[in-house]
Amino acid sequence: MIRFDNLSKRYPGGLEALSNVNFELDAGEMAFLTGPSGAGKSTLLKLLMLIERPTSGTLLINGKNLNRLSRSAIPTYRRQIGVVFQNHQLLTDRTVFDNVALPLQISGYPASETGRRVRAALDGVGLLDKETHNPLTLSGGEQQRVGIARAVVHKPKILIADEPTGNLDPKLSAEIMAMFRRFQSVGVTVLIATHDINLINTMDERIMHIENGMIADDGVHHDHH
Amino acid sequence: MMVCTMTITEKSSRETQQRGATGQKFRLGDHWRGYRAHHRATLSSSVRKMLREPVQTLMTVLVIAIALALPSAMLLALNNVQTIGGNLESSSQITVFVAKPANSAAVDGLALQLEGLEGVISVTYVSAEQALEEFKALSGFGMALRYLDENPLPAVFLVQPLPSGEAGVSQVGKLITSIEELESVEDVQVDMLWIQRLNAITQIGEKLVLAISIALGIGVLLIVGNTIRLAIQGRQEEIIVVKLVGGTDAYVRRPFLYTGTLLGLFGAIIASLILIACVIWVGRSVEVLASLYQSQFELVGPGLSGILALCAIGAMTGLIGAWVAVMQHLRKIEPK
Ligand SMILES: Nc1ncnc2c1ncn2[C@@H]1O[C@H](COP(=O)(O)OP(=O)(O)OP(=O)(O)O)[C@@H](O)[C@H]1O
Ligand SMILES: [Mg+2]
Repeated sequence: MIRFDNLSKRYPGGLEALSNVNFELDAGEMAFLTGPSGAGKSTLLKLLMLIERPTSGTLLINGKNLNRLSRSAIPTYRRQIGVVFQNHQLLTDRTVFDNVALPLQISGYPASETGRRVRAALDGVGLLDKETHNPLTLSGGEQQRVGIARAVVHKPKILIADEPTGNLDPKLSAEIMAMFRRFQSVGVTVLIATHDINLINTMDERIMHIENGMIADDGVHHDHH
Repeated sequence: MMVCTMTITEKSSRETQQRGATGQKFRLGDHWRGYRAHHRATLSSSVRKMLREPVQTLMTVLVIAIALALPSAMLLALNNVQTIGGNLESSSQITVFVAKPANSAAVDGLALQLEGLEGVISVTYVSAEQALEEFKALSGFGMALRYLDENPLPAVFLVQPLPSGEAGVSQVGKLITSIEELESVEDVQVDMLWIQRLNAITQIGEKLVLAISIALGIGVLLIVGNTIRLAIQGRQEEIIVVKLVGGTDAYVRRPFLYTGTLLGLFGAIIASLILIACVIWVGRSVEVLASLYQSQFELVGPGLSGILALCAIGAMTGLIGAWVAVMQHLRKIEPK
């Protein structure tokens, strides 16, 4: 589903953020991305979102080379991916409902279908009763869950999250990770960058450890506690 | 591993998504309805966003209105002056003085020749005696004139030329030359000079209006462009999110294009109201003036077609201004 082939990324005037990264993620697979600050986790996810373009190497999504994707094809590509941002980036000029509905409105879904799907997504993250609220009136964890609902409302094949549990307490973090796992269990490919080593060590999933732009370790961590 | 079909093209991706996700088909009609609903929603949210900052919006709209009303009013004034010119031109007569002495045969011959000339509507003969009677009656010198041995006035022909707009001036000029060449013609008089002057002045006026229209049109473009630029800056965060979840460039720029078009349109509507108010206000004075001259002249307003044209021009200018701003600023805003 996702394949990085000898991929390197150098920011203009900077060091190499990623060098010769190779990995493959199957459809329906779940993996975590860890590593110290500045290791290149966000960069890797940005390449997947086509926010950044690789300096060399190829990035294949379902066999298609993203390097060959033109600027005008980017929106269509992004609609197949759900993304949860580090700083949830909810729009404060509209309700929770309208925030979650955004990916559907962009694709021109009819209103009835939009309503049905938005409520299903909000129900999935346990926030159905908050649909008319403004995101500003929600707690950090609730905002994070609205962000997740927005990422999955259009049923993407790939779900990407950059530190989705950033400022949350351990209980809430665990809940959110469980939510991601539920999406994986219905066939979504999930890739999550996180610092929360303790939490993911308990999850029995694939962990890719990045250091200095290189994958230092890749495998399932079995918790010994 | 699960076999998953994922395609980069829009249509098939949506179909697989739909079928894979819900088992439902996403019909083209639904898509079209969704698209139209989106346009309506964009339009109404543009209006709402403009109303959320009423002072700012009103200022912009008023500036646009003034910039549109000024050249329109000048154009209207020019049209009216041209109408007056046309009216007077068609009423201008050529006076042909008959050479003395002329017998009645020569006068009849001249009458026929004049009637036969191209561009002549009618020919009226005023004999020397008639002219004298008229003069006596009008001047009040009746008694004094009685002591003259001889009628000092010549017989005249009043020739009414064909009215024919701007081309008329040169045609009347030609007519005069051919009349002057006729036998038994002493002199030809016509008050043409001021008509030529009026035409020259209105031509300058037209150029002036064009220049001012272009200058103020550019002004409107800049005003709208600046307003849109500020709106784009104010919604940077939203634009980034929309782009990240797959909003196309067209989707992102649509609300700004609507806003620009609406600003231009509202400006044009207010400009039309200003124009109509001016026509009514000035029209009263013109009526009084015209009645003093025993003229039927009435001030010509912009008319429905003029107002519609103004609205179309306003909306178009707003759209173009927004487009320029969007092209300059929207591409730079990308997710980081
Ligand atoms: N836009 C940019 N321009 C230049 N250098 C950048 C840019 N973005 C990131 N970098 C550099 O690339 C390297 C990797 O950054 P990245 O954000 O991918 O790290 P990270 O693993 O996500 O770190 P953190 O855990 O702190 O989020 C860092 O050295 C960073 O300074
Ligand atoms: Mg990061």
